[in-house]
Amino acid sequence: MSDINWRLAARSLKRDLRAADVRALFVALVLAVAASTMIAFFLDRLERGLERQAGQMLGGDLVLEQRDPFSEELRNTLEQAGFTLSDQVDLVSMISQGERFQPASLKAVDDIYPHYGVSHVDRGNGVEQIASGPPAGEAWADPRLAELIEIEIGDRVQVGQTELTISGIIEREADQSAGFGNFNPRLMLNTADLEATGLVQPGSRIEFELLAAGPPAALEQVQGLLAQLRRDGVEVRDVRVDRPQLGNALQRAESYLGLAGLAAVLLAGVAVAMSTRRYVERHLDTAALLRCFGASQYQLVTIFSLQLIGLALMASILGALLGLVGQSLLLWLLTSFLPMTLPPPGIMPLWLGIFTALSVLVGFAGPTLLRIKQVSALKVLRRELDPLPPAAWLVVGVASIVFGGLLWLYSGSFPLALALLVGGSALLALLWGVSSLLLNGLLRAVQRLTGGGEWVQAFRLGGRQLARRKQAGLGQLLAFSVTFFAMAMIVLVRGDLLTTWQDQLPEDTPNYFAINIQPGERDAFEQAVAPRVDTQSTLYPMVRGRITEINGQAPRDAVPADARGDNSLRRELNLTWQSDLPEGNQVVAGQWFTPASEPQGWMSEVDATPSSDSETVPISVEDGLAERLGLGLGDEITFAVGSDSIITRIDSLRSLNWDSFNPNFFVIFPPGVLESFGHSFITAFHLPDEEQGLVRELVSDFPGVSLLNVDAILGQVRDVLTQVTRAVELVLILVLLAGVSVLYAALTASRPVRAHESGLLRVFGAGNRMISRVQGAEYALLGFASGLLGAVLAELATAALYLYWLDLTPRLHIGLWLTLPIGGALLIGVIGHALSYSLRRQAPAASLGLLGEA
Amino acid sequence: MASQPVLHAEKLAKRVTSGERTLTILHDLSLSVAAGESVAILGKSGAGKSTLLGLLAGLDTPSDGELTLFGHALSRLDEDGRAALRAGRVGFVFQNFQLLPTLSALENVLLPLELSPRAGEARTAEQWLERVGLGERTSHQPKQLSGGEQQRVAIARAFVTDPELVFADEPTGNLDPDTGAQIIDLLFTLNHEAGTTLILVTHDHALARRCDRCLRLTNGQLEAFDPAPASSEEGDE
Repeated sequence: MSDINWRLAARSLKRDLRAADVRALFVALVLAVAASTMIAFFLDRLERGLERQAGQMLGGDLVLEQRDPFSEELRNTLEQAGFTLSDQVDLVSMISQGERFQPASLKAVDDIYPHYGVSHVDRGNGVEQIASGPPAGEAWADPRLAELIEIEIGDRVQVGQTELTISGIIEREADQSAGFGNFNPRLMLNTADLEATGLVQPGSRIEFELLAAGPPAALEQVQGLLAQLRRDGVEVRDVRVDRPQLGNALQRAESYLGLAGLAAVLLAGVAVAMSTRRYVERHLDTAALLRCFGASQYQLVTIFSLQLIGLALMASILGALLGLVGQSLLLWLLTSFLPMTLPPPGIMPLWLGIFTALSVLVGFAGPTLLRIKQVSALKVLRRELDPLPPAAWLVVGVASIVFGGLLWLYSGSFPLALALLVGGSALLALLWGVSSLLLNGLLRAVQRLTGGGEWVQAFRLGGRQLARRKQAGLGQLLAFSVTFFAMAMIVLVRGDLLTTWQDQLPEDTPNYFAINIQPGERDAFEQAVAPRVDTQSTLYPMVRGRITEINGQAPRDAVPADARGDNSLRRELNLTWQSDLPEGNQVVAGQWFTPASEPQGWMSEVDATPSSDSETVPISVEDGLAERLGLGLGDEITFAVGSDSIITRIDSLRSLNWDSFNPNFFVIFPPGVLESFGHSFITAFHLPDEEQGLVRELVSDFPGVSLLNVDAILGQVRDVLTQVTRAVELVLILVLLAGVSVLYAALTASRPVRAHESGLLRVFGAGNRMISRVQGAEYALLGFASGLLGAVLAELATAALYLYWLDLTPRLHIGLWLTLPIGGALLIGVIGHALSYSLRRQAPAASLGLLGEA
Repeated sequence: MASQPVLHAEKLAKRVTSGERTLTILHDLSLSVAAGESVAILGKSGAGKSTLLGLLAGLDTPSDGELTLFGHALSRLDEDGRAALRAGRVGFVFQNFQLLPTLSALENVLLPLELSPRAGEARTAEQWLERVGLGERTSHQPKQLSGGEQQRVAIARAFVTDPELVFADEPTGNLDPDTGAQIIDLLFTLNHEAGTTLILVTHDHALARRCDRCLRLTNGQLEAFDPAPASSEEGDE
């Protein structure tokens, strides 16, 4: 029996591919799969690509750091797990050439360095890309160091007790992830020379690093070991956990792509629901006949389900192929940003695509398809005996549940999916009521139109046609509104994203950082810089301090076990003081220092006796750091600054925008506490192209000040934004196509009814032009109402999205309220009118079914 | 007629309710059809012929009374059970042919064969199409065939499973008189050769006369009737 089912299903599917509804169904499913797989493929590869890039920036997939050399035992364990190991030693030491001395940050690398990427080094023949460190006996200096002690390639410098030859100027290190933690210029040497320098002594401040490169499985295998190492106070950086966070822009783009994918799926779902309706209606006769010949209900459902599943599988394969092509197009758009070698696409997104297609089919077509089961064999004798269409609540209910499941799958967040689902359903119920009222109102208004113009007459007749089958009209109205809504939302969000991105990095975003400005130089520096730059951030004082106690305990004991090796506990932090909340910072918990909460007491007292620990000082901490260290409001932190201790209490937590290209601080003190300690200033400014000469002047006038040029990074971020924008636009097109597929499906579904009506009009003497206008008017009315509702929905939904998902400020989109209703009327009017062209050419006898088989 | 009847109806009634009114279409109707017999059911338009055919074929359920088909009481079977009973054992010829527009002539004929437990081969279907004179047009779709040709396909489809019982509902209703006559000849020839039981619903007395027995449906009941040649065009649609 099942063999027959297969054969029947296959045969009729083959023939059905010519039917408009099946084509609409197919196109909708292909689009749903293409959109979802494209986005899934892309995000999958992007994730893995970013991990690879993070590995390059970290210097390995796993980096361990501690004050002592690493044991052989640990090395063996890691090597057995499948890692290749590379040693690196970091220390700060004075280096000299002749009479010139300069503290430098030394980085000794072995012959395996670097695991990933290349360094950009000038060895006298222009900048080359080199995948190694300097050989033994040689060293590479960074341009700043070269300038400060006036060395050139071939010169020899004194490092500790040995002399090394400068063989290159290193412009960019392969694993350059250094922030501003280390302000000394760089000298890179070979570990083989380290012993000769005599700098590695017990008690000297040296960081030993073990850089390991290996497959994810190796990383997985040593997780237990890593946890233990963290507890032992070793700083562990794991590429999967400690990779640099995606910038806000890219994170939003990811959210956007996910959202767009879902919109495409939702639209496809609506199209599937509408085409299935027509599909089932068209097959009721077949079903009745099969019933007559002895087919069971089960067999009917099987045959038609098999057909649709076959259709869904074909659509999945085609959609997945399109998705594959689409994702490579996306990657191609992003190619200059992403690492050159991206991992190949995984298989997972393909399953996701097929699963999506089948779910959409089950959810959006299932209840309607079951109607076929209800068909009575008696229909072969009495044609009018059609089974009742499934209740609207059932269709919408099942579709909502399935779509909610997909939301969950895609967003990975159950509460979000549930909230969207419940909100969406409530909105839909409300929409049903509102659209019913709207349609009634609109139709009544149209009936009141007076005057004898042909168009007026057309609108009256069109309105009456719409009123006659209000339920079907309502269904279409709902489908069109949801379509316009989804399309509008994707367009709106895109526009606002782009605006936000452009606002985020305006033309005058700082491109230089100046660090280590001494208090005595402050005014002179400011005078030199201010007249020649476009923008300049505040001059922030900076004091170096170390956390020595948390709530009276040693920091390592007070923080969560896996934070024991955290950078902030092992190094000095840059502390600043400010009376006002810096720009781009937001207090997320507690209170910023207010003059009222600054009792004169502690200010004067602290001024008098900075080391007094009887008073606690209120501070503000960055929320990310607080979370990592398990800190909250009211917690007490003791800082060692110089030889003094300062006890502080967390009064507020701040979130800050790390993408802002402005100086950012983990910890901010109120004024009046740190002034008496040795401090320097940091600032950022935007130097226009024509003022680049200032740099040279600043270097010679303020030799102690470090200038960092971030133009390259800024340019890279801008590139990313441009490319992400293009990717977003590509996805947008896909969503719009899905929207058009809905319109096509819906209009196809309603063709027979309209054919009947235009046939009647013609019998009663209406000319071609009249019929065409009546149909145009009907579609336009439908489009107008749908556009209006779509605008309401889109405005509400974007506001919610901005608030809860994309982290943007909601705003009113006035253009939307004009564009959607008018555009909707035009779009539906034109497409519907064009699609029913052939109907108008039909003789009334054919469209009225007077010739037997209609 | 010693053998068990193929079909036996006992005091059938069919009532439909529309709004407050209950309309009785059939009442107290009894009928027994023996194997190999051909029975014509005549009646005016609206007399309930199609309703009766639907009941007899198990496509619909009676309001009262008992109906036995191939020895099975239909009231004890559900919709699926009745369908299973029909599969392969009952053939149909309809007034409006009821061919599936998307299938070829051959595929239309194959359809009941594939649903039947005594599934035959495609060759059987081809042979039947040859027998109705359409051996050359097996791959044509219904819309490429004339009305008469479509009805021939439908007749081949009705006989392809070698059924015990064939229902024909106004088989010439949509055809011109000449074509109708050819179709009737074909139907009776095939029926005779296969020894099938035939229940024919018609308002055409000439057609009815070719059956072993004629019954007329009036006021919801069947009565024996002798269609005289003179009154051949009684009752019209």
